[in-house]
Amino acid sequence: MSEIRLTVNGAKRVVTVDDDTPLVWVLRDTLALTGTKFGCGMGVCGSCTILENGKAVRSCQIPAIEAKGRNFVTIEGLSRDASHPCQRAWIEEDVAQCGFCQPGMILTACGLLREHPDPSDQEIDAAMSDSVCRCGTYPRMRKAIRRAAAALRARKP
Amino acid sequence: MSVTLMGPARNRVDGRLKVTGAAKYSVEFEVPKCAYGWTVESNIAKGKITTIDTKAAQALPGVLAILTHLNTPKFKTAPKKEGASGIRSEERFPLNDDDVHYAGQYVALVVSETIEQARHAASLVRVSYAPEEPLLTMEAAEHKAEKPKKNNDEHVQIKKGDVEAALKDASLVKIEQTYITPTETHNPIEMSGTIAVWEGDQKLTLYDATQFVKGVQNILANAFGLEIENVRIICPFVGGAFGCKGAVWMHVFLAAMAAKVAGVPVKMHVTRRNMFVGTGHRTPTRQTLSLAATRDGKLQAIQHVSETLTSMVGKFTESCGARSTGLMYESPAIRVEETVYPVNVATPTFMRAPGECPGTYALECAMDELAIALKMDPVALRLANHADNHPTKNVPFSAKHLKEAYQLGADKFGWSKRNRDPGSMRDGDLLVGWGMATATYPAHKMSAAAKVQLRVNGTATVQCATHDLGTGAYTAFTQISSEQLGLPFENVTFELGKSDFPFGPVAGGSNSTGTVGTAIHEVAGLLHKALAELAVKDSKSPLFNLKTDDIAMIAPGRIGLKADSAKADAYVDILKRAGKDSIDVQSERKPPEENKKQAFQSWGAHFCEVKIDPILPRVQVTRVVSVMNCGRVVSAKTARSQIIGGVVMGIGMALTEETYYDPPTGLPVTRNLADYHVPTNADVPEIDVAFVGEPDFAFNPIGARGMGEIGITGITAAIANAVYHATGKRIRDLPITPDKLI
Repeated sequence: MSEIRLTVNGAKRVVTVDDDTPLVWVLRDTLALTGTKFGCGMGVCGSCTILENGKAVRSCQIPAIEAKGRNFVTIEGLSRDASHPCQRAWIEEDVAQCGFCQPGMILTACGLLREHPDPSDQEIDAAMSDSVCRCGTYPRMRKAIRRAAAALRARKP
Repeated sequence: MSVTLMGPARNRVDGRLKVTGAAKYSVEFEVPKCAYGWTVESNIAKGKITTIDTKAAQALPGVLAILTHLNTPKFKTAPKKEGASGIRSEERFPLNDDDVHYAGQYVALVVSETIEQARHAASLVRVSYAPEEPLLTMEAAEHKAEKPKKNNDEHVQIKKGDVEAALKDASLVKIEQTYITPTETHNPIEMSGTIAVWEGDQKLTLYDATQFVKGVQNILANAFGLEIENVRIICPFVGGAFGCKGAVWMHVFLAAMAAKVAGVPVKMHVTRRNMFVGTGHRTPTRQTLSLAATRDGKLQAIQHVSETLTSMVGKFTESCGARSTGLMYESPAIRVEETVYPVNVATPTFMRAPGECPGTYALECAMDELAIALKMDPVALRLANHADNHPTKNVPFSAKHLKEAYQLGADKFGWSKRNRDPGSMRDGDLLVGWGMATATYPAHKMSAAAKVQLRVNGTATVQCATHDLGTGAYTAFTQISSEQLGLPFENVTFELGKSDFPFGPVAGGSNSTGTVGTAIHEVAGLLHKALAELAVKDSKSPLFNLKTDDIAMIAPGRIGLKADSAKADAYVDILKRAGKDSIDVQSERKPPEENKKQAFQSWGAHFCEVKIDPILPRVQVTRVVSVMNCGRVVSAKTARSQIIGGVVMGIGMALTEETYYDPPTGLPVTRNLADYHVPTNADVPEIDVAFVGEPDFAFNPIGARGMGEIGITGITAAIANAVYHATGKRIRDLPITPDKLI
């Protein structure tokens, strides 16, 4: 067990956990931020995706000890009232069905839109294709990403 | 008030919760001082446990208990109460004895203070076995084969007319082919999991990922000898299920037993690895179709012989023939045969359209092969054999609009531009194939009850112990409640997923919208009656002294005289004058009304395009049009999403999904999402969904036949047929991977 300091959604947090505990469990079980989901534990499905400096990373692949001093944003940090353009677009396009993979999908899309503010369908497919949704929400996800991209571009001066 | 086919296109009521991470799935409830359970699984498929050495694990810090068959208290098996529900996945309880029936069977459970301790400790448990030769294939299990007469209440061996004579008739055009589907695994992204919390030794609460809170409640009450009201099951959100959360699996009993033994709440996640053994799969099927038709395409005989596997610890069967050939096409002779082989593999279970999905794959591929033999258009062949009446029950289908579905689908897709010759269509270097198939799924009806509270401010809460698996149930039931109660959508809250609520059936068999919708319809009637009773006693009401039987809802928010709507009163005024803040009404659960004069079935037509690189023949589905006839579409947006979801899962079944077992040992090899390939973004094109038909009020007062499963039926055949059209190669064993096309 170690005492680990990290920043989550802008707040400094201190946790005492087993060194090898994947960050996904620290977020979910220690910090009660259950918006980050556990879907496979081996970095394959993408449901544990969070942001670090705006880039999508997989929290099941980060041992707690390596999270020391780093700064992460989870779905709860994007907005609690669904006001972020990605969240709004997701609601309008009825993307979520069971919803379980969607926090990871939304944050993966945020990572994509930071790199590509006006992504092509090929860029969307490339960025999203290693994230798994078993409800099959992919066609609506593409539409929502285009909608969010337009909203984000309109917001910038 | 006329009810249209399409209900309103509202945003999902739980959409905000799902995009902010605020929707709470079962293992996400905060329970203080919760320990973790981690399982140890058998690595043989059949035999006996000889020794279990837990010393090293027990010595680790944080370990609270280790359960094995040697020390686990026996589960009780109280007699099943009448009307009580629930689905047991296995006939045995976990850790009951030293027998091993399949690879991956739980043989021990470690309970520890942290998840890492539990995982590490479980890795130190040493189990020795006396292995025996397992039965793993149909051939090996031949001597144990069974031909079940029925699957629940449904006849699965069907015989109508003289099939042999038609199949021997030299004047008819015939095809006979065998189609294979592999083991497939549900793999919802939320894995199964349970938190078990005891209060004393008589009260148990489970936060369980389930499609059936009332079923879990009943089965757990029996297993621990508890009063049913002392067992509470909570599950407001389910992260996908597709059938694998319908039964009570072994980890649920284990979590409750571990919490009892360790004296602390226990949280158990089924790992992704164990989702391939511990929570079911779609059993592999081998189906032989024999068709005989006149030269103008009239079927004279259909024979559908299906063989499937089941386990040694349950009797689940996948009735492929009865659920496709048994009802799809008109033919004077139909025979359906089903054989089930028990093997040493973990138990199979319902997976989206169990029976219908693999059954329509085989039948609809065979119909395509027949169309080619007849040199006939595949749509024309289906129209020539369209069944107005149920072909084996001989009663008319209610509100069947399949012909319109073919027509609209063909128009939207541009089917008339199809060149029938295989390999004739190209997009640059890519081979292009167009295929189609019929979809079908029965309209199931179960029983439910509902409770409503109407408040003086004009808002209401409706409750039923049903579920939203991602289906859109929260939204559809809010919509139905709003219509039936006569209140604005925004004023109605629908609550589900708690065993404290009135009875809701398993959220399976695409039954929920109709079943729970009917319960909402009933409770709304009771509410209107209760309001009428208050009004007729109130001298200030326009309804004073009238008979309650003459009163009904006449407009949103108002009850009035059926014969003279000028005499009416508003709900809120009635409550205000009666000095009531609210009024509560609950309906009773009763068996569903049966209508044996008609058959109730949903229909659809899929059209799809594939493109294939002839050098490296990877199949890309590039376009899908799916037109569905499911009765009323209560909630337009979420319904469309359901059909798309079924199609996407069908793309996986057609092209990539297969759970593979090591032939000599029976150990599953495919045990994660890197090896089990479900479709992702780049595999899925735009999917154009449309609905035809009318509300089916002969089926239920909501007019809805359900649509959770129909999307996956037929689509795999449409893709396989398109692959044939593109390449001239008929692949009869799924999935259609590139190696099979080279």
